[in-house]
Amino acid sequence: MRTVLCYGDSNTHGQIPGGLTLDRYAFHERWPGVLDRELGNDWRVIEEGLSGRTTVHDDPIEGPGKNGRTYLRPCLMSHAPLDLVIMMLGTNDLKTRFHQPPSEVAMGIGCLIHDIKELAPGPGGHVPEILIVSPPPMLDDIKAWAGIFRDAPQKSRELALQLEIMADSQEVHFFDSDSVVACDTLDGFHINRDAHEKLGIALAREVELIGWK
Amino acid sequence: MPDMRFAPPNPLRIADRASGLNATSVRSYNERLVLSLLLQNQSTTRLEIGERTGLSAQTVSVLVRSLEQEGLVAKGEAQKGRVGPPTVPIVLNSEGAFSIGISVGNRRTDVVLIDFVGKVRFHTMLANPKVNRSTNHSEFLNTIRKAISMLPKKARERLAGVGLALPYSFSSGRDQEGYFNALQIEIEEHLGVSVFVQNDITAAVSGESMFGVAKPLSDYMYFYLGANLHGRLVLNHQIYNGNSPLSFDVGMAALEKELAKHRQPLEPLWERTGSWPDYGDLLIAWEGRLIDQMAQSLESVSQFVEFETVVLSSYAPPEICGDICRKLEAQTGVRAVAGNITPSPKAVGAASLPFSSRFIVE
Repeated sequence: MRTVLCYGDSNTHGQIPGGLTLDRYAFHERWPGVLDRELGNDWRVIEEGLSGRTTVHDDPIEGPGKNGRTYLRPCLMSHAPLDLVIMMLGTNDLKTRFHQPPSEVAMGIGCLIHDIKELAPGPGGHVPEILIVSPPPMLDDIKAWAGIFRDAPQKSRELALQLEIMADSQEVHFFDSDSVVACDTLDGFHINRDAHEKLGIALAREVELIGWK
Repeated sequence: MPDMRFAPPNPLRIADRASGLNATSVRSYNERLVLSLLLQNQSTTRLEIGERTGLSAQTVSVLVRSLEQEGLVAKGEAQKGRVGPPTVPIVLNSEGAFSIGISVGNRRTDVVLIDFVGKVRFHTMLANPKVNRSTNHSEFLNTIRKAISMLPKKARERLAGVGLALPYSFSSGRDQEGYFNALQIEIEEHLGVSVFVQNDITAAVSGESMFGVAKPLSDYMYFYLGANLHGRLVLNHQIYNGNSPLSFDVGMAALEKELAKHRQPLEPLWERTGSWPDYGDLLIAWEGRLIDQMAQSLESVSQFVEFETVVLSSYAPPEICGDICRKLEAQTGVRAVAGNITPSPKAVGAASLPFSSRFIVE
């Protein structure tokens, strides 16, 4: 039995595009649920998607609980041993309040990779496999969120390359979600049920490609 | 002092989206390691690459992604296993790289363009360049220029280089290695393409081992049947020349002499149409002399090394080669297989040289 942790933000949580705060897709509709179905009985999928989660920042408005770094360590320890950690984060770092260029967001992801390697929550105290997934780029029209995410759509399109450079540098797996899904037009930065399905299937194939003995 | 753990990323590879072939200088040893496995096997998986190289799954993932983006490798068709999920092999992308091979032969010069899996996309024959002993290169420049000018645009953009295979006579009386190096440097300066020069028989072995019947073999005796008969010994994928450029006058030139005496048509010998007229007893007698010579060479070599296979390459018709192999096998008990590289084993071998130099680690 293998275990994978899916560490992400609202697009891992399953937030419904254009919906209210509490609107969430059902487990079997969210990409971790799709991944669970696709990988079959050999894998246990743990969901850790929190709306508003950043890579390494305490959010001055939403609160310190959104900091992806401080929560990661106890989270990994709770679920160890982990064979694989999939991380899809970065969109919330592009909020106006953080003033981050895409390269700095990638630095944040690099920091999380570093923390995982240092903690080594894999089987036998080894480093687990790490798969960085670049979040789907935001659409230009993000409705009422334009102020909170000023200039973010442009930055979000540059994020994949920066994350890939970081993944290569740290020698971890990488997948560009833009190759299979796009955000829903209802709010411009969340993915819909159909996209969750596609992403879950694509990630299952990526997980298999890693090659497990 | 900044904390170096959080220094700017220093990627293992160049994560860019350029469309051309990366320069040799930026291709890492590990990338070549992965390409070597693919050039030496039909296909592989990331798991196998990891097992055979000792690289971690994550490092292999980075390398394969890089090679995919460069268009050198692609995902193959998923294979259903007995247990577990289907495995997706990694294969070479046939359109990923191209190479020109030029072989200066007894009478004419063969030029081929091959793709990354060794398929001949184009073949032509040109007049032999005139040998001018006062310069190294001028006799080849036009031939190479002409070969490049005949390429489709796509192949020109992804050209790994030009391989030039020369018979021993071109370098006789000079130091072969020094001559080949000088030639290579001069041609590269003039034409701006990567050039690799090699003895033609050795090149033919390279081609057969990269793309032909010798692909799964690591130790074998190799014969090339052209105007003369040539031999090479291959041990653990290394090609050994022997001390002398020995060749035996039992090849197609010897057959030609016999045929001429009996006023038989000679042109079919050199035409590469895939068949010869019925030369009757003359052919059988020649085959006998040829096979005796091969058996004799095998016997002397087998005093020192053990090998299980003989490979015979030639541009002679396939059924003739097959016949020679069967008779040799019957006479010596050593498994003999005819090469399957057509139409010119030497030119295809020459074309394999840029691939082996740029993509294979020893």
